[in-house]
Amino acid sequence: MAIDQYEELSHLFQNWRLGRRRLLQTAGALGLSASTAGAAFSRSAPAAAQASDKLLVTVSHQQQPSWIRNFNPLLDQDSSRWPTQAGIYEPMLIYNTATGETVPWLAESWEFSPDNAQITFTLREGVMWSDGQPFSSNDVKFTFDYMIAHEALAGTESVRGVLPLIASVEAPDAKTVVVTFSEVYTPGLYDVGEQMIVPEHLWKDVADPVTFANENPVGTGPFTEVGAFQPQYYEILKNPSYWQEGRPYVEGFRAPLYPNNDSANLALVSGEIDTASNFVPDIKNTYVAVDPEHFNYWFPSVGTTVHLYANTTRAPFDDPNVRKALSMAIDRPQIVKVAMYDYTTPSDGTGLSAAYDTWRSADAVAAGDWVTLDLEKANALLDAAGLVKNGDTRSLPDGTPMSYDINVVSGWSDWVSTCQIMAKNLGELGITAQVQTYDFSAFFEKLQKGDFDLSIWSGRGGPTPFGYYRSVMASATVTPIGEIAADNFHRYGNEEADALLDQFAATSDASEQTDLMNQLQMVFAENAPLIPLFPGPDWGEFNTMRFTDFPSEENPYALLAGYENPERLIQLVTIKPVSA
Amino acid sequence: MRFLIRRLGFYLLAAWASLTLNFVLPRMMPGDPAAAMFARFRGQAQPEQIEAMRKAFGLSDAPLIQQYGTYVSHALRGDFGLSISSFPAPVIQVIGTSLQWTLLLGLVSTILGFVIGSLLGVFGAWRRGGLADSVLPPLLLFVGSFPYFWLASLALFFLGFRWKLFPLRHAYADNLMPSWSWDFIGSVGTHLVLPAGTILLVSIGGWMLGMRNTMISVLAEDYITMAEAKGLSQNRIMFAYAARNALLPNVTAVGMALGFVISGALVTETVFAYPGLGYQLLTAVRNLDYPLMQGIFLMITFAVLIANLIVDLLYVRLDPRVRG
Repeated sequence: MAIDQYEELSHLFQNWRLGRRRLLQTAGALGLSASTAGAAFSRSAPAAAQASDKLLVTVSHQQQPSWIRNFNPLLDQDSSRWPTQAGIYEPMLIYNTATGETVPWLAESWEFSPDNAQITFTLREGVMWSDGQPFSSNDVKFTFDYMIAHEALAGTESVRGVLPLIASVEAPDAKTVVVTFSEVYTPGLYDVGEQMIVPEHLWKDVADPVTFANENPVGTGPFTEVGAFQPQYYEILKNPSYWQEGRPYVEGFRAPLYPNNDSANLALVSGEIDTASNFVPDIKNTYVAVDPEHFNYWFPSVGTTVHLYANTTRAPFDDPNVRKALSMAIDRPQIVKVAMYDYTTPSDGTGLSAAYDTWRSADAVAAGDWVTLDLEKANALLDAAGLVKNGDTRSLPDGTPMSYDINVVSGWSDWVSTCQIMAKNLGELGITAQVQTYDFSAFFEKLQKGDFDLSIWSGRGGPTPFGYYRSVMASATVTPIGEIAADNFHRYGNEEADALLDQFAATSDASEQTDLMNQLQMVFAENAPLIPLFPGPDWGEFNTMRFTDFPSEENPYALLAGYENPERLIQLVTIKPVSA
Repeated sequence: MRFLIRRLGFYLLAAWASLTLNFVLPRMMPGDPAAAMFARFRGQAQPEQIEAMRKAFGLSDAPLIQQYGTYVSHALRGDFGLSISSFPAPVIQVIGTSLQWTLLLGLVSTILGFVIGSLLGVFGAWRRGGLADSVLPPLLLFVGSFPYFWLASLALFFLGFRWKLFPLRHAYADNLMPSWSWDFIGSVGTHLVLPAGTILLVSIGGWMLGMRNTMISVLAEDYITMAEAKGLSQNRIMFAYAARNALLPNVTAVGMALGFVISGALVTETVFAYPGLGYQLLTAVRNLDYPLMQGIFLMITFAVLIANLIVDLLYVRLDPRVRG
C-alpha cells in the first residue's frame, strides 16, 4: 500500500543534501528528545473540553486531505473513518491469518447442514449495542437483507460476491441465524461470517444507506464513542460496556491528519505515532535505528501475490512451457532485493503467499521448479516450443521476432523497477521486452479487457487459497477479450481445476479440503497459468514507548497492519498501555 | 459607467464559459472513478466491491446535454453533488473543511509579500545603488530561485523537527477547538509561520523587483522633477507622486495572485500538512473525483474573475485615465 504515493508525492527527504539515511540518523541522535515535537508546542495551551486528556493510541492508518465524519460500516472501508469496520462494528467471526484459526466473535459457534447448503450460526449471549439495546439474530438477518436490497453497498471484503448465492437468512430465535445458499458454496462461510453487523432498530429508518454518513455510530465493538472530531484530528474512545470483560485495555485512539507518507513518516520517526501502516523505505536505518528499544516493525509477506500476467489468448503464451520458460528467466531474488527493499521473498511454484503457509503442499512446491532462475532450461523449453533463436533475437515460428510490452502503472516505482529487471532478464532469452508505463485508469482498462501481452498486477486474497485459485484458473472466471473482467485477466481456464474447485466449494470437511487444495496447487505448479513473482508485504510499524502487546514477528497472534480487516479487532482488544 | 457595464458583461460571459469548460474537461479525462478508488487499495479491496462503488457513486449514463442541464441548474444553487474521494460527503462540505485555511494562508502570504516587497522596491529605487538596492534584489532572487520544495523541507526539518521552534503540521494545535480565544488565535499564528514564511521568502523578490523597476522609470518623469522643484517633502514625492504611479502594474499582479489564492499552495500544504484546498484538489484529480474537481475549479475560476473585477474597479480609482 502506498509505496507509489511515497515516491511520487514528493521525495521530501531525497532532495536534501544530507541524504535520507544520514538525515534520519541525525534525527536518531536526537533520540527521545525529538518525541512529540508537535505536542511540545500544544502543551503551552490548555486542552479544550472536547479533546480527551486520557492516554490515547496515536495511529496513522488512513491518508486523506481532511477527515470527513463518516462511520458507515456498509460502505467500502476507505470511505469510512478507521476503525469503523472492525472497531466500532463487528462481524460474527474472524479468520486470523497469522494463526490460521477462525475466531468466534459475535457468533459463538457455527455448523454446516449435512448437505452443506445451510450454515447455522449460534450468537453470543449478552452482547449489547452501545445504546443499551440487546444484539440479536434479527440484526444479522436485517444486515444481510439490507445488503441484498442495496446493491451499491460495498460491504466487508468480498461479501458482495457471495450475496447472489444466498437464498435466505432466517432468525428462528434470538440467538440463531440460519443462512441458506441457493447452491453449495462452503467458502462463503468467511464472506458471510466476516460481514459487519449493523443494528436493525436504528438502520431500518435510514432513508438511503449509501449516502448515510452515520455521524454518531452505535455498534457492538470495543470502540464506539466518537470524541473530538475536526478536519485535522479525531478521537475514537472505548465502549464502556463492551461484551469482552475488562477489554479493551486502551482508552481509545487519536488520529491526527497525516495526509501523506512523508508527514506520517516524520511523525513516526519523532516517536509521536504509536502504530501505523505505511510504507517506510529502508526501515531498519530510518526508523528502528532511531530508538531500537521501542521502535519496531513487522512486514510479513501475507499480502496478495504480485504476478506477471501473460495473456493466454495470444500465442505463444498459450503454451505452459513458454510461460514456464519466461518464469525461469526472471531473477526473483534480485527483484526482491532491488525493487522491494528486501521486504518480501520470492514466490514459489504454488503462487501462495505466507498467509497460506498452512495450506502449502511440499509436493507442489517441488513440482513448481520453474520459479528458480535457470536460463539453460528456459532456452531449451523455448527451442522445443519452436521459438528459434537467431543470433541475439528469438522469433516466432512465422519469423516475427518476439517483442513485447510489459505494462505497468506509471509512478508505482516498486513495480516499475520490477518490470525493468524482468525486461532485462527476458532479453537474455532473446526476447525483446519494453516496459510500458500507463496512467492507472488506462493501465487497468487494458488489463481488464485483456488488451496486453505481458502485464504486472497483484492477485486476490481471502481466508483460503480458494478465491485465488478460482480467480486464476477457473473457466467460469474467463471473460471474452474486450469485455471487462473482475479477475483472471490472463484468461486461463483449466477443466481439472474447475472440478477440484467445485468439489472444494461443496465440502465442509477440513481434511477433504486440504487434499483438494493440494491437488489444486499441483495443477497450478504444472500449468503455470500466470507467473508469480513475490507476495506483497503487509506494512505495520509500532512504538512500545507508551503501549505494548502489538502483534510482531516474535508474537504473531494477529496481523499488525491497521488495514487488515476484520483481523485488526483481535489486536485492538489486546494492546495495552505500558504502565498497566 | 459605460466602462463598468462593459466589464460586467465580459465577466458574465467569462463565468458562463468557465462553467461550461468545467463541465466538459473532467469528462474528457480517461478512466473510471471506481477503478481509481480500487487503485488506491492496491490489492486490498476485492473486485466485487468495484461494481458496488460504481453504483454508489451514481455515475450517470444520461445524454451529455441532459447532464449539462442538471449540472448548470445545480451549480447555480451551489449544489455540486457528492464527493467521490470523501464519499458520501457533499462537495460543499469537503470544500468547507479546507477553504478557510487556504484563504488564510494565501491572503496572509500574498498581502504581506505584496506590501513588504513593494515597500522594499520603493525604498530601493529611491536610494538607487544604496545598500538595500544592491544587496536585496540579487539575494531575494537567489533565495526565490531555490526549488520551493527543498526550501520548505529544510525549514520544516530544522525549524520544526530539530529545533522545535514551530509545529510540524496542521493549522492549529490538535487539542484545541476552533474558537475566538487567544489560545486558538495564537496557535493559528504559530502554525502559520512556517508555511506563510517560506512562501514569503520565495515570492518577495518578485514583488520588490517589479516595484523597483517601474519606480525607476517613473522617477525619470518630468512631474517628479517638477515636484522636487516645487520643494515638496521627500516622503510626499516618494509615495504620493512616484509610488502611486508605479504601483499600477503591481496592482494587476496582486489581483491575479489573489484570484489564485483559492487554488491553494499545493506544495506548501503537502510539506506542512496544512489542511488547505490545494491538497484536496490533488487528491480529487488523483481519484477522478469529478464532483469535487468541478467544485474546486469553479471556485478558482470565479475567484480569479472576481479578483480581476475588483482590480478593474481599483484601476478606476487609481488611474484617472481609465475613467474616461
